[in-house]
Amino acid sequence: MELWHSHLLREKVDQSSLLVQGNRACALGALDAGVRFFAGYPITPSSEIMEAMAYELPRVGGVFIQMEDEIASICACIGASMSGWLAMTATSGPGFSLMQEAIGYAIMVEAPLVVVDVMREGPSTGRVSVPSQGDVMQARWGTHGDHPAIVLAASNVADMYRLTMAAVRFAQRFRTPVTLLSDEVVSHMRESFSPELVDRYRLTSGDFDFTPGYLNPELAREVHTPHVLGSETHPHVTGCTHDETGFPTSDAGKSEGFLRELYDKVTNHRDELCLYDMKNEGKGRVCIVAYGSCARSARAAWRLAEQEGLPVEVLHLYTLFPLPVEIIQQVARRVEFMVIPELNLGQYAREVRKLAENWTTVVGINKIGGNLITPREILDQVARLIGKYESV
Amino acid sequence: MSLEIEQFLHTERLPHMWCAGCGIGIVTGAFLRVLVRLGLRREHTVVVGGVGCSSRAAGYVDVGSMHTIHGRALAFATGIKMVRPEFTVVVFTGDGDGAAIGGNHLIHACRRNIDVTCILFNNQVYGMTGGQMSPLLGWGDLATTAPYGQVEEPFDLCGLAEAAGATFVARGTAADIEPMEDLMRLGIQHKGFSFIEAVVPCPTEYGKRNASGGVLAMLDDERARSVSVEEARRMKPEELGDKIVTGILRHDPNRPEYQRSYAAIVERAQAEAARETGQEEAG
Repeated sequence: MELWHSHLLREKVDQSSLLVQGNRACALGALDAGVRFFAGYPITPSSEIMEAMAYELPRVGGVFIQMEDEIASICACIGASMSGWLAMTATSGPGFSLMQEAIGYAIMVEAPLVVVDVMREGPSTGRVSVPSQGDVMQARWGTHGDHPAIVLAASNVADMYRLTMAAVRFAQRFRTPVTLLSDEVVSHMRESFSPELVDRYRLTSGDFDFTPGYLNPELAREVHTPHVLGSETHPHVTGCTHDETGFPTSDAGKSEGFLRELYDKVTNHRDELCLYDMKNEGKGRVCIVAYGSCARSARAAWRLAEQEGLPVEVLHLYTLFPLPVEIIQQVARRVEFMVIPELNLGQYAREVRKLAENWTTVVGINKIGGNLITPREILDQVARLIGKYESV
Repeated sequence: MSLEIEQFLHTERLPHMWCAGCGIGIVTGAFLRVLVRLGLRREHTVVVGGVGCSSRAAGYVDVGSMHTIHGRALAFATGIKMVRPEFTVVVFTGDGDGAAIGGNHLIHACRRNIDVTCILFNNQVYGMTGGQMSPLLGWGDLATTAPYGQVEEPFDLCGLAEAAGATFVARGTAADIEPMEDLMRLGIQHKGFSFIEAVVPCPTEYGKRNASGGVLAMLDDERARSVSVEEARRMKPEELGDKIVTGILRHDPNRPEYQRSYAAIVERAQAEAARETGQEEAG
């Protein structure tokens, strides 16, 4: 049975796990994490997230607004965020492209914000109802200038729930926009799911306040705590490079210091930000590194490999950026090959290769056009690489 | 009065960045007097600017202020007002910021009738980038990107705002600053979307290319071309030509304001949710 609204879902969670759509699980995760503002614009394959929010938010005293485009949507979210409310928006490739300038603004003014990008085939209109992983590098470098990025990738319905919660938590803690990548398959498929069963990133309270001093004091130096509209400090908020007063600065030293601080507050906390799952650790000659819907195929390939006696490890990444440097290099040191299946032409493999090529050979399996990569396709590549098995 | 307005002015940011003779400062000064007159709480007043000369006014007014990205100030303001209805939210924008890149946000803010006051400074050019033509530049006028003269019709922004559904629409000039001040005060007091066009001289980027004879001559010209809404109603369209119609063009206090309408939805949805929870417990 599938349930449309979270209050119905919540009634049933104790009884059994239920069939839930990925996009609905995302909305539920957002609500459970305390998101109370959503502004969006319809776009396939993400629209169910905003439909759920339109229904749910007023029930919990929140605000939903359908804006005139994706630019207005993210700007309204930043306005709400800088006024002390947790905000989220969701879109797909074309809308994600439109949002890029404002994502840079949110980074600059340190607005906590979650942006969900449900990837479809691109560029341009592409094909709207097929999965893709073509926005990975846009999620990292889409807005102009040197900037930090926190990018998570969901591979199933439970991920859509818990990674949305993680995205909210990271956005709050690091006061920066966090992108959650999904794709058409992950967002539209229905899976058995119960919020009570997944590994939760539950936050302490539904009511968050971004007033100064909210953050952990030991992070205060690295993570800016700019003032919030409506507070006693009646601050100035600007996308110009600014100093500690909040006003624009033309001092080169201060500018560089500020921009480096923005960057470092994310990369210096890689340990905390990099979420991953390792299967068969230390037992493989080949490691399949995967994320999103390809990680499902990778996990299935690993199960097949066990049956067929192929020495395979799987590194399933939930955090794509900041780059999980340590775990990638650790794996690279011990395996002969890293195989990276992606629904793009090797965007993330290029990142991994830069980190791993001193120790291992990185091989991509790439598919664009809308079909998924099958477990057998991955395993065939593995077998070819270790020369143990010839596919028919 | 000058000491009183200083409480709302970031005096440490002075001197300001506007050119000598710029009309934006005149209107910003009047805006500060409105803040004093209305006795607004600094913490609960937010000024949102886009990008351009006029939007920079947000950085001089000592209330909560947000200097945002080009053209999108109204979208930011919408997010702020929806979550903090107790705030007085004012947008400072220009004719490029508000009517070109931000034109779509303007018409949708008018349509929603959200309780935000939008003050659009119209100086007919992009001043900060060096005098390119804006959608408000008059037919035949010169700009760096209209070196042979503008051959596009300028917008009638107040007409646009009225048609799009703004419930308070007014136009004033820097030349007649007292009526301008009144219009801003009434716009802020109005519960609904207020659109106020402030016609301001840009002697540096518009005046010098169009032989306008310096700022005093430009202000005199503004005053000479101004006709009140009442006078304009008695005039024929061909007589209106290059006239600046000033005053309140529309004031409709009865149309529902968006944030309040949405608050009623929240109330209804919460009551429904509570009822369902009650039923569950009873069941």
